[in-house]
Amino acid sequence: MEKTADSIIRARPLLGTLVEITARGTDGRQLERAVDAAFAVVECVHCLMSYHEPRSDVSRLNRANGRAPVVIHEWTVAVLKASIDLQRRSKGSFNIAVGAALERLGLLPSSIGPSARIGAVGQGAVELLPRNCARLLVPGNRIDLGGIAKGFAVDQAAAVLRASGVVGGVVNAGGDLFVFGPDEQAVGIRDPRNPARLMAHTMLREAALASTALGFDPVATDRPSHSSIIDPRSGEPVVAMSGATVRAPSCMIADALTKIIMIGGRDASEVLEHYGASGLFMTRNGDVLATADWEDVHTLAA
Amino acid sequence: MVEWVRLAVPAAIVAAIGSPSYAIQYLTVEQSRKLSFPSATDFVPIDAQAWKVASDGKTVGRYIVDHVIGKHLYIDYAVTLDAGGRVQRVDILQYREAYGGEVRDRSWLNQFVGKSSASTLQVGVDIRNISGATLSCHHLTEGIKRIVNRYGKDGR
Repeated sequence: MEKTADSIIRARPLLGTLVEITARGTDGRQLERAVDAAFAVVECVHCLMSYHEPRSDVSRLNRANGRAPVVIHEWTVAVLKASIDLQRRSKGSFNIAVGAALERLGLLPSSIGPSARIGAVGQGAVELLPRNCARLLVPGNRIDLGGIAKGFAVDQAAAVLRASGVVGGVVNAGGDLFVFGPDEQAVGIRDPRNPARLMAHTMLREAALASTALGFDPVATDRPSHSSIIDPRSGEPVVAMSGATVRAPSCMIADALTKIIMIGGRDASEVLEHYGASGLFMTRNGDVLATADWEDVHTLAA
Repeated sequence: MVEWVRLAVPAAIVAAIGSPSYAIQYLTVEQSRKLSFPSATDFVPIDAQAWKVASDGKTVGRYIVDHVIGKHLYIDYAVTLDAGGRVQRVDILQYREAYGGEVRDRSWLNQFVGKSSASTLQVGVDIRNISGATLSCHHLTEGIKRIVNRYGKDGR
């Protein structure tokens, strides 16, 4: 380890994707420790909020099935609070009670019978109780924080880096990222139809960028195959959009807002405005629209 | 309410075959070994990709270097097993995409146009960070499982 290092970049497989952390500072050892701590925080968020981990807060809430309150971590409380707010403001197009629908589509491992359902429009998925307790509002519902927890993990990792004295850097969890510190960074945005290309880029400083596209596995194929975004109001996969990207003050909000745009398209602008976010989306026929307040997003000239 | 503005984006084309690949070296094997086992005194080769790690004569774990190859992704990674054969950490050593080399190419970047005349585009700016659809770690997860099966069983 070089003591004089002023920048390190590390990557680990976490959250089912590659998490990459860039950290700038003056002391190489200190940077190495700070990045270790940041990866540990990402792992911690995974353990708390993964649908796949039987001991996660999410799994415990789902298993309790609304019968009894479950004590959960304050971070899970924070994400649930944000989810409730997003659900209300998006009139139900963001709803964490999509676990059952994702299971039926084979996008989450099956844990339940066919009776499980999605909360009705406007209906909250969970109820937050005093002393960090929560419970499902509708028995049979299954909550999944897959649309928001990754962004939260990115925010927490960036906070740890900052608190550890890291001057600036980037936390990038499979394309959902936060740029912190005094320096502006250029960020490319993949073409959702073809991950081999960028379709746009923008500059970021003290801001997050998150993207969502129709699912594809770049190891096996370069073509979008299925949709892993569910419209909670119908329980059906979203097919009208190819992809969406959001710039927001936090990665948690950016992450969640990409789903709201994938479902609502133009209708998402009110919610975007509320959260101080800018967005763009590509329709299935290749049209790209961006909010007018996003001045420094640049597309590849046609 | 905020308005939506249409942006010009060319039709999707298939990436040029043979375009330069995009690679990031995160850690060398040497750096990764030091980070994983700071107090190790010996790395005794087990085979071409694995080492038994000892500290003052006592086995403290194993260190394995592997790679996964997909259609578009090439990842070199290192797995650190503790003395009990459990995964302690996984570090990506090098990551390559069989595309994306254009990101660093100045003339290619020049094609980007700002939608406002007061464009803040920095020509030649290095786009290191990319936002886009999530990369699947499926192959990597399988690789790690193989390593645990092969080297983790007789870890003691």
